[in-house]
This record gives sequence, structure tokens and C-alpha cells, in this order.
Amino acid sequence: MTYDAIVVGSGACGGWAAMQLTQAGMKVLMLEAGSRVDPVKDFKHEFLYEMDYRGQGKPGMMRRYAGSERNYRIMLDNQENPYTTSPETVYRWGRSRVLGGRTLHWARATDRMADYEFKAASRDGYGMDWAVTYAAMKPYYDRVEGFIGVSGAMEGFLQFPDGVFLPAMPLNCAEAIFTAASKSLGWPTTHRRLAQLTRVHNGRPPCHYCGNCVNGCDVGAMFSTVSTTLPPALKTGNLEVRTDTVVARIRMNRENRAQGVTYIERYTKKSIDVDAKYVILAASTLENTRLMLLSEKAGLANSSGTLGHYMMDQVGGGGVTGFLPKLKGGPARLDDGKSAGITIPNFQNIDKKTARKDFIRGYVMNATGGQTEFPQYAASLPGYGSAWKKEVKSRYVAQARVWIAGGEMLAQKENFVELDPEVKDAWGIPVLKIHFSHSDNDRKLLADFQEKAEELFRKAGGEVMPDAPRGGPVGFPGAPGSPDAGPSPAGRGQRQPRRQTLGGSIHEVGTARMSTSPKEGVLNSFCQTHDIPNLFVFGGNAFPSTGDKHPTLTMMALTARGCDRLLELAKGKKA
Amino acid sequence: MQFLSVWLRAAQDHQHGPAAPPESPLLRNYRPKFFDAADFAALQAFTEILIPTDDTPGAREAHCAHFIDFVLDASPQATQKQWRDAMTALRTAGFHTGDATARAALVEATDRSASHPCHAAYRLIKQQNTFAFYTSRTGMIETLDYRGNSYNDAFPACNHPEHHKV
Repeated sequence: MTYDAIVVGSGACGGWAAMQLTQAGMKVLMLEAGSRVDPVKDFKHEFLYEMDYRGQGKPGMMRRYAGSERNYRIMLDNQENPYTTSPETVYRWGRSRVLGGRTLHWARATDRMADYEFKAASRDGYGMDWAVTYAAMKPYYDRVEGFIGVSGAMEGFLQFPDGVFLPAMPLNCAEAIFTAASKSLGWPTTHRRLAQLTRVHNGRPPCHYCGNCVNGCDVGAMFSTVSTTLPPALKTGNLEVRTDTVVARIRMNRENRAQGVTYIERYTKKSIDVDAKYVILAASTLENTRLMLLSEKAGLANSSGTLGHYMMDQVGGGGVTGFLPKLKGGPARLDDGKSAGITIPNFQNIDKKTARKDFIRGYVMNATGGQTEFPQYAASLPGYGSAWKKEVKSRYVAQARVWIAGGEMLAQKENFVELDPEVKDAWGIPVLKIHFSHSDNDRKLLADFQEKAEELFRKAGGEVMPDAPRGGPVGFPGAPGSPDAGPSPAGRGQRQPRRQTLGGSIHEVGTARMSTSPKEGVLNSFCQTHDIPNLFVFGGNAFPSTGDKHPTLTMMALTARGCDRLLELAKGKKA
Repeated sequence: MQFLSVWLRAAQDHQHGPAAPPESPLLRNYRPKFFDAADFAALQAFTEILIPTDDTPGAREAHCAHFIDFVLDASPQATQKQWRDAMTALRTAGFHTGDATARAALVEATDRSASHPCHAAYRLIKQQNTFAFYTSRTGMIETLDYRGNSYNDAFPACNHPEHHKV
């Protein structure tokens, strides 16, 4: 059988593509390398004390898996799926292999990029403008937001375009304090915009504020493929889903078109060919590029020579942690139930008036505070005994943190991925080798964020906690802070920010950038490869620059736009 | 389709009680596997000095020493050695045989001085004891009154005027 389209991957973009194409009548095969999830078994709420190892897993277990004891089933088995890095690279590639991909545990931040990001190169001369504008993207942002449901507030910030919003989530006390402080500094401030429902929407229930977002939402109040795009796709009767299918390569025909793909059954290791009129890669940014590198010696659709290059990830790792004295000793409150916070959009380098001399581009800040599941600070408070206990309790509701939501990382050709000549995954497929380092501009941008974050903290009357602890004894496997521990106890809430440590944000983009000219990039503005007309690549691959917004919404809007194009092609309306 | 219908049923059947569930029975009748009797008794005493039972429960009610023993029994040798060394340091300093007053004095001395021979042991026990306590039901619910992991009709908005101004 020849399908109309094969969609490789089931994350935000794969799910959307499957929905849009099946609703248009196409027969679609979705291939997912991971397993199905059992919502009842895997998305339950558990307190740490209900788990033998308190959310950390048996010592050593979490070396094998990404995530925590609570959510490793919706993450990835590192032993099955290794990758390598060059000596200068410090990069942690956060991945998922499961039906729904990273939508099952993503941070849900749903922000539109603005023209000052799409046209950044024209403004400051660095890199390349996008092949789309905000005007071209707006209808697709509207469509995606309107369907998945995004809570937020209309603000009128040009650099942070408003969207189609459900009511915003209320602020907790710490967020109210940070909002007042930020506004008094003259900074733009709003609620975090989240793909998390605040009322019934398209048959999905609203959030019940349990705070388990990163462990899989048990009622589907947060957007995921499983909760939102897969049900209507399946309802059409046009979608076939095959899980535990590891795609190994794209097969070409003699007419320079993609014939289909070859996948390997995860458990039997049997190799199977499937054919389609269109092949859509939506397996995550770097996996998409890996597949293109695997499919032809010089890389598929690589006449530009840019495939694999210009890898980026938004600058992360900065943050300030401490306490808000105004809140000390207050009563217990449900502060972390929405896993949200406030957003301070970028307000520098957006026009001539706000241009900085020492760095280009910008960053978005988030802030929140209050009660958390585990008091990370407790072990580092001096003393012990009853007085210490009382101090831990007093500070419990006064916790506060500011972190960098996304800082723009500059695109550099020298940051690239290639196939490792020696290392293979569990199915004998060569793995990616990542070459990745930051520029001086990235470092200056993070340093500026750190100054601003501390300024905000001071304005809010906060006490900064230097070198904020992650809790637990170093070298005690399984406890927070140990080398194999997750980013926070059992993966709840936000990651604990670290001061002045450059890192990624799990927002990897680039490696097959879009361009108007086929000589400068792999994809056109519809995420269709310049070289192979029936091969589309949805994900972060097309991004010529990171911008400072979380990328998922833009990836989905590009997918919707690309699917419109694909359907026009299929109907013969476009050449 | 079957898994999706199960998923939707989960939404309908979704239950969070206002009361947090009981603790795991694992540590209720737990017998130490890693530490010998003398070291375990010393560890237990140490954890109870660090997090005493006062107007709220402490390390004793939270079975902190038991949890530490449970984790250590599954830990790699390097970690186990770290803890054996810690207990040796305490034994050498007389903690195991000291009375309550002597033990309290030793803990105070190790807290005050980073150069004390038992300071590393103090840091190690304090860190893991803190984790054990505040991840237990006793610490998380009964002491800190954690409100998350619960079903709520709405998120409680800050309604304090003083928080909305600098």
C-alpha cells in the first residue's frame, strides 16, 4: 500500500501534521520510535513518600533514563539511544521517545515570535532573516492557538504579540510581588502564556492545578499530541499509528522524490519498507537532520551544504534563587499547582532606541515563588534542631526564583551535527555527534540577564541565595544533587536555575535552515526541502535564528503552514 | 483507540482527596540491612538531634535513619564507603557510647567547626536526613503542610493588596 503521507514522529509537529492531513482526507501512516503510554498507569499523581526511592529511582537507575522516577517512561532510554559530542562541546540533548514525544512533559510556554526576531539580521547585520514574516505567520499562530488552547493576557507588547487566549491563570503571592517590582522598573510584564486550559476547550477539561505537568497531565488539560491532536486524527479513520518503529532512512526513487522510509521494529529488529506520496519528518529537530544525513552520503536535500550546520539552542542556565521576606512565616498555600509564573518579555535590542552596544539580541525572563514540593534550600540553612526546623518552615512559602526563559543564541556554522563514524544505537544506526559551543555574545547576554534578574530580586525586596543548593549530598546516587539525579526532586515544577552557567534550554533548532535561495538553506518557507519536492521537515530545523521565545508554537505554526502547502500541491494547485 | 478511551476515562474518574495518601508501608517494620546495630542506633540518634520531635514530628516519626539505610543498601560501593567512614569518625569521637548530653555536645561542635574531625559526617547526615525528612509524609504534609498534588477547582489568586505594590 502507498500512503498519501508518512509522518515520522508524534510530537507537537507530527501530531499536528497527522491531524491536518487526515482531516483533509489523506491516508496517513504515523511512525513513532517509542511506545504508547498507558494514561492511567503512567500519568497518576504520586507523592514522593509513596515511592520507595522518593522519586529518584533505585541508585544508578537514572543514569540509564532521562527524567525522573516519575516520568522516565515518557522520556528516553539513554542506553538504546546514545549520542556523542566533540571534546569542546558541553551539551545535554534532552529527548523523548514515546507516543506524543516531548508534548507529554513540555513546559507549555506558548509565545509568538515577533518581526524583530524574524527580521533580526536586517536590523543588526548578523546572520540571516527568516523567509517568513509575522504577517505570514499570524493566521497560523491564530489557528494553532485557537485549537490547542492557550491561557494568557492581552497586553499589546509589539515584541511579544498577543494571541487567541483563554483566561490567564491567577498569580500567586510571589508572582504578584515580582509583577509589581518589574512594572516599577518599567519592564513589560505579563502572565506566562501556557498551552494549559483554564476552562473547558474543545472537549478537554480545565487544569485542576495539581502541578504534575512534567509527569504527563492525567486529564489532558495541557496540550499534548495524545490529548489534543491525535484523537481528532484517529476519528477520521484515515490515520494508522505504528509505535516502536525506529525509522532508519528515507528511500528515494529515480525521479528525485522520496519513495518512502525504512523502519526497524524496535523489539524484533525486523526491517520494513513503507511507501508514500509525501514524507514528513517530524521526529524532533536533530533526529530529523540525523535521518537526512543517514539517507544519502552527503546528506539528503543538501545541495546548499548547510545540512547539519547552524545548530542552536536558546541560552539557558542563568537564574537567581532566594526568598521574599514579605512572605516569610505565612500560611501554606497552593503555589506550585500551575507550574507557571510571570513573563518579562525582552525589552532590549528590539529597535534603535533600545539597542545595546555590548551585545545583540535578547532574552525573556520568568519569575515565580512560594511553596514547592521539596525545600531545596533546607540542607544548606545553617544549624539544626527545632530552631532550624522553624526556619525551614518560615522560608517554605517565601521561596522565590527568577530564571531565563529563553535567550537568543547566535547561529554559527561551526556548531553542527554529523554522523558518528563509530557509535551506533541499539538498532545499528549511526548516532549523531554534536559540535556545539557558545559565542562571546551568548555569554554577554547571559551576564546581562543575571544583572537584571538580581535587580528584579532586589526591587522585590528579595534575599538572594548565593550558589543556590540543589539539596542532597553530592555523591549519594539517587538523591537530588547527585550526578545521576534529575534536575529537581522527581522532575516537578521548574528546573533549579544555576548562576552564570551557560546551558541549553532543550530548545534545539536549526541544522536545516529555511532560506529564500536554495543555495543558502535546506528548506523553503513552507519547510519543504528545496531539493526534494515531496519531502517536508517540521520541527525546529527551519529556524535561521532562535529568537527569544519558546519555539514550540512557531514550530507548530510552521507545520500548519507547510501542511497547507502540501495539500495545495497534492491537489495540483501549486507546481 | 483503546488507550485513548482509557485516557479519557481517567479524566472522568480522576480523584484527588483533600487528604494526602498514607505513607508507603516500606519503612514501618523495616530492619536495617546496611548498618550494623550499633551504627544504626548511632545514626538514628544523630538524625533525631538534627530534626527533633517538638511541637511537630521529627526524624524519628519520619523513619529517616531507616530510609537512609534502605537507600545505602542499594548504593554503589563508593557511596557505602563514604557512609562507613562517617560512622567510623563518629565512633572514634565517642558518639556511639556517649550519653544524650555528650551526643548533643558533639553535634553542636561539628556544626560549629568545619575543621572538626566529624564535620564531614555531620554534613553528610544532615543533607541526607533533610532529604529523608522532607520527602516523607511526616515532613512534607504534617510539618510543611504541602498543598500540591491535589485536585482544585481554581488556583488561589493572591488577594493581598500589599503584594501588588512595591
